[in-house]
Amino acid sequence: MQAIITEKLSKTYPGGKEAVRDLDLSLGEGEVFGFLGPNGAGKTTAVKLLTGLLAPSGGQSRVMGLDPVTQVEALHALSGVVTEHAQMYDHLTGTENLRFFGEVFGLSQEEARERALDLMGQMHLEDAQDRPLGTYSTGMRQRLSLARALMHRPRMLFLDEPTSGLDPESTLHVNRIIRTLAREEGTTVFLCTHQLRYAQEVCSQYGLISNGELMAQGSLEALRERVLPGLRLMIRASGMPEGSAHTRVAEGLYELALQSEAEIPALIRQVVRSGGDVYQVTPIKPSLEDIYFALTGGQEAQP
Amino acid sequence: MKNALKAIVIKDLRGITANRQLFAMILIVPIVLAVVLPSAFVLVSHFLPEEMGELGRLLDKIPGLAGLGQRELSLVINYLIPVFFLLIPVMASSVMAASAFVGEKEKQTLETLLYSPLSLKEIFRAKVLAAFALGMLVSALSFGLMLVVMELLIWLLKGVFVWPNLNWLVVLLLMAPALSLIAITLIVRLSAKAKSVMEAQQAGGFMVLPLVMLAAGQFTGVLVLSVWLLLALGLAAMALALFLLSRAMRRFSYEKLLQ
Repeated sequence: MQAIITEKLSKTYPGGKEAVRDLDLSLGEGEVFGFLGPNGAGKTTAVKLLTGLLAPSGGQSRVMGLDPVTQVEALHALSGVVTEHAQMYDHLTGTENLRFFGEVFGLSQEEARERALDLMGQMHLEDAQDRPLGTYSTGMRQRLSLARALMHRPRMLFLDEPTSGLDPESTLHVNRIIRTLAREEGTTVFLCTHQLRYAQEVCSQYGLISNGELMAQGSLEALRERVLPGLRLMIRASGMPEGSAHTRVAEGLYELALQSEAEIPALIRQVVRSGGDVYQVTPIKPSLEDIYFALTGGQEAQP
Repeated sequence: MKNALKAIVIKDLRGITANRQLFAMILIVPIVLAVVLPSAFVLVSHFLPEEMGELGRLLDKIPGLAGLGQRELSLVINYLIPVFFLLIPVMASSVMAASAFVGEKEKQTLETLLYSPLSLKEIFRAKVLAAFALGMLVSALSFGLMLVVMELLIWLLKGVFVWPNLNWLVVLLLMAPALSLIAITLIVRLSAKAKSVMEAQQAGGFMVLPLVMLAAGQFTGVLVLSVWLLLALGLAAMALALFLLSRAMRRFSYEKLLQ
């Protein structure tokens, strides 16, 4: 079953702002989907449409086979959502917050208590579990929000900028949790972020959005294939043969554009045959950032 | 009751005690209306000299304050004080309702609650129930406190007890719940638009208080007339409350709540 399918999903706010336009998405179960774009691109609106908190002005969607417009309670029962605007109660302790939301999501008091303790441990928040949330740092709050979203073991997880405000160590930790959830429990993750490098570390599928429109969707390989085919090669050598299409980056460092990795052995043989010594060969594939900027820069591959 | 709804009601009630400003308001208003004001009435009616000139004539016009005897004290307790007493459930429920709806919005916790598998109706019901429960709890405690203080005071001054009559039964079991529910629905309606608890409370105060004062002006007359008329009025208020309550949710949607 597809975890998320949308067809021409659109949202125009009462003020006339077109936040999402004709969004066509398709996402399999157990994927970690990176929904990427700058602030204001329409990511949060998309999450609200998919979780039923906003009514679409056009098109339709299915999340886990459910319609967010008409089956919103059933959808919420199997989704967990972390967004910047979904906070918890400052006067309650971390554990009390988790237990409260656990009970609201249908857990018994006993289940909620056990699950809360377990998740506080997973998020490395044991030391702060009996402190009021008001005393937590931004990073701790963010981790507690993730714990809150996981209380009822959701099959679908929506994370809107889950690592904003986290230090590098916490970010790594959260990444590990997200990957484990997807791999071991089959949880589908819909992750919105503007940090493309971060997304590349954790996601298996990507959707690139700009000004409310989806520009491209697929795995990193598929996106490279479509948007920036070929690769760049960095060679550290004593010299390059006459006539090869290289650019000299620095003394003894050259850059070449290739169609595929298959061209590398022949190229190296050519360098050696012409009397050059090769010290290092580094193929560089386009990063998500390169792809995103290629797309927004208005280059060839528009959808 | 569903476990989830119970959790929300308990959390809301606990939230009030955590907010000192709101908690102080919920404590002070009942003390003024159920202890200070009634005591003042009794003391004034006891120590007031027979001839008071202008003030005496003014006080003469207020039903229940005209004389000094036991009958007059009974008038004060059973006909005058209930009018002021009714402000207690209205105030307590309004404060709680404003905090429960706009407070959540202000602290950005409403959205988290909206992502739960509870329907908007269920969340609404839990919040109304919490506000209503607080209104009734504060009313009951205020009445108990007032009864103890009043009886003690009258006994000390007159050596007798003057007991509350049937009016109080109608006030406590019908008028107080009905007015409390009406106040809650009005606040809830306002709170969908209000941006802060303060704003909702102020708007609520502007709407609720004149209504209550208007009713109170007429109400003393009703109390004096007959308990049956009071009962009819109570039933009408309750019917209005239930009608407003059933309609209060109609215009709500996730989108409207989060605006």
